[in-house]
Amino acid sequence: MTVLTPRRVVLVLLAMLLALLAAAFLGLVAGPSSLAPGDVAAVLRGADPTSAAADIVLRVRLPRVVLGMLVGASLAVSGVLFQALLRNPLADPFVLGISGGAALGAILVLSLGGAVGLGYAAVPPAAFAGSLCTTLLLYAVAGIRGRVSATHLLLTGVVFNAFASAAIVFLASISGLMEGAGVFLWLIGSLSASRVEVAGWVAVFLTVGLGCAIPLARSLNLLTLGEESAQQLGVDVERHKRILLLATSLMVGAAVSVAGLIGFVGLIIPHLLRLLLGPDHRLLVPAAALGGAAFLVVCDVVARTLLGGRELPVGAITALAGGPLFLYLLRRHQLRAFAP
Amino acid sequence: MRLRAPVVTLVALLAAASAGRGSEPPPIARRVVSLNPSLTEMLVAIGAGPALVGVDEYSARLQPDLRSLPTVGGLFNPSLEAVLALEPDLVVLVPGAHQRDLAHRLEVLGVVVLQLPNITLDQVLGSLEALGRRVGHGAEARERVADIRGAWREVEREAAGRPRVRAVLVIQRDPLYVVGRGSFIDAMLRAAGGENPAAAFPEPYPRAAVEWLIEAAPQVILDATDDPEEPQRHWSRWPSLPAVAFGRTLAIPADIVRPGPYLDRSLRLLARALQRPGLETRKPAQPARSEPEASEVGGGEPAQPALVAP
Repeated sequence: MTVLTPRRVVLVLLAMLLALLAAAFLGLVAGPSSLAPGDVAAVLRGADPTSAAADIVLRVRLPRVVLGMLVGASLAVSGVLFQALLRNPLADPFVLGISGGAALGAILVLSLGGAVGLGYAAVPPAAFAGSLCTTLLLYAVAGIRGRVSATHLLLTGVVFNAFASAAIVFLASISGLMEGAGVFLWLIGSLSASRVEVAGWVAVFLTVGLGCAIPLARSLNLLTLGEESAQQLGVDVERHKRILLLATSLMVGAAVSVAGLIGFVGLIIPHLLRLLLGPDHRLLVPAAALGGAAFLVVCDVVARTLLGGRELPVGAITALAGGPLFLYLLRRHQLRAFAP
Repeated sequence: MRLRAPVVTLVALLAAASAGRGSEPPPIARRVVSLNPSLTEMLVAIGAGPALVGVDEYSARLQPDLRSLPTVGGLFNPSLEAVLALEPDLVVLVPGAHQRDLAHRLEVLGVVVLQLPNITLDQVLGSLEALGRRVGHGAEARERVADIRGAWREVEREAAGRPRVRAVLVIQRDPLYVVGRGSFIDAMLRAAGGENPAAAFPEPYPRAAVEWLIEAAPQVILDATDDPEEPQRHWSRWPSLPAVAFGRTLAIPADIVRPGPYLDRSLRLLARALQRPGLETRKPAQPARSEPEASEVGGGEPAQPALVAP
């Protein structure tokens, strides 16, 4: 593997930033309406901010692109962190049920929060609490000290996901939320039900998450060797683990609270980038943020243009892409586990 | 297991045979279960409320007088057992994905089911008359239908001389659902002097992209969502919407979208909402240039002048 020089870090991140900008531009140009790319460019240059084109580009598509970036980055970085912390290539906030826990927390507030005076503002903290509780549960049930068993971890995730979905449907049924299409969108994951006002929350959570993860990238590298080895190499394992778990829960909670359950972003992007860039977390963490952002923006473009005016939930697109990849990884992982 | 299929088929055949025997009108129903709020509302409106022995939860929520009746589950999850326990001689419902299966199972068990579709205007009025015949209140039902038809002619006559107003009726904001082509609401919009750009969608209640709404440039947005956020505040996120510039984003009661027995009232309300001087007709996708007008229906804010380049 190539050595990680500052020059390489800068070059790679610059290239990824360009890819992200390209994705963002695509996100602004593509849509169901008949705007020509030239009209979009004119709006971006500041032409007539009161026109319908300006509304479409700046007040429909731009918020969506921004939110897609924030959510995609949060999910991809959480994927990287989970995979390092649990030393398991299959770890992903969606597969492990952590997104499900966040959604459950959010739905709990949406369905019953009104009775105790909690409004929409309480949704992101509730989603954060849900993802944190699920992470702790996962550790308690599957994470026996030392190496976390992949089987236990996946089983716990599967079971918790089923439980969370059932609980969400139950809460929605008893509170009348079921009557609209809202809960369905929550369960599949969509950027359509999002408003630009909530982007600030996600940005704060993502910044905090990245602010915790990037300085600890070296510890993450050592943690992948195993907790005991990391401890011997001078890592304050327990403290760093706590910080990173909190950071991932924050990011997953923020992502889920605005976009529902969008799966597999935390699986596809980290693995793709590990293949391309190597396993060093000092590069992997920021690269995952940029890559995840670009990926989700592109998936959302597919979601809102594939069927013309009818919109697909973006979670359906990421899951269609991610499901097969997950099975492939599981198969490869199994084979390697049996190899001498 | 092997036994069950022929037995079910046999029961179904016998039920079909007994239903087809003779052509005398079916007996008047005395124990009715309604699984749809608008059908419940129709039954109450034509004076057949006392014949109801059970309703769905949504009906019970909308009709305070019926709260003492047993409920048999929600619109999407009615309970077969709860319906049977009430020993109804007629179950009325709207055929839809969630209730078609229930209707079939009820019929197999020998319960008489009346399925009344309610998408188009003719279907809604037909349902009203059919219900009247089956519960012995035919005269009242015909009277209601006549009132609706009368209001219809009146409103159409008044609207005939006015220029048409591009109006979109919003059922849900996020994700956006609007009234498309073919439904009774679409018919009411046209009768009341509106031109519904969402009639370009083939479905009666399509999901639309916000981008579509901005391009459609409606002069009036009729917001039937019951959302706590004021319509003008919500829709002014997109200031190029002519309806926003004119201050014509009007809150209308959400029950206007219910295909109930009082379409005459809904129609008059829509006509009032659309009957505004100063709304010029214009070609699609071109900004409107008419002078702003304060709205009277709904809580629209004082209008802002349309910011359009000359």
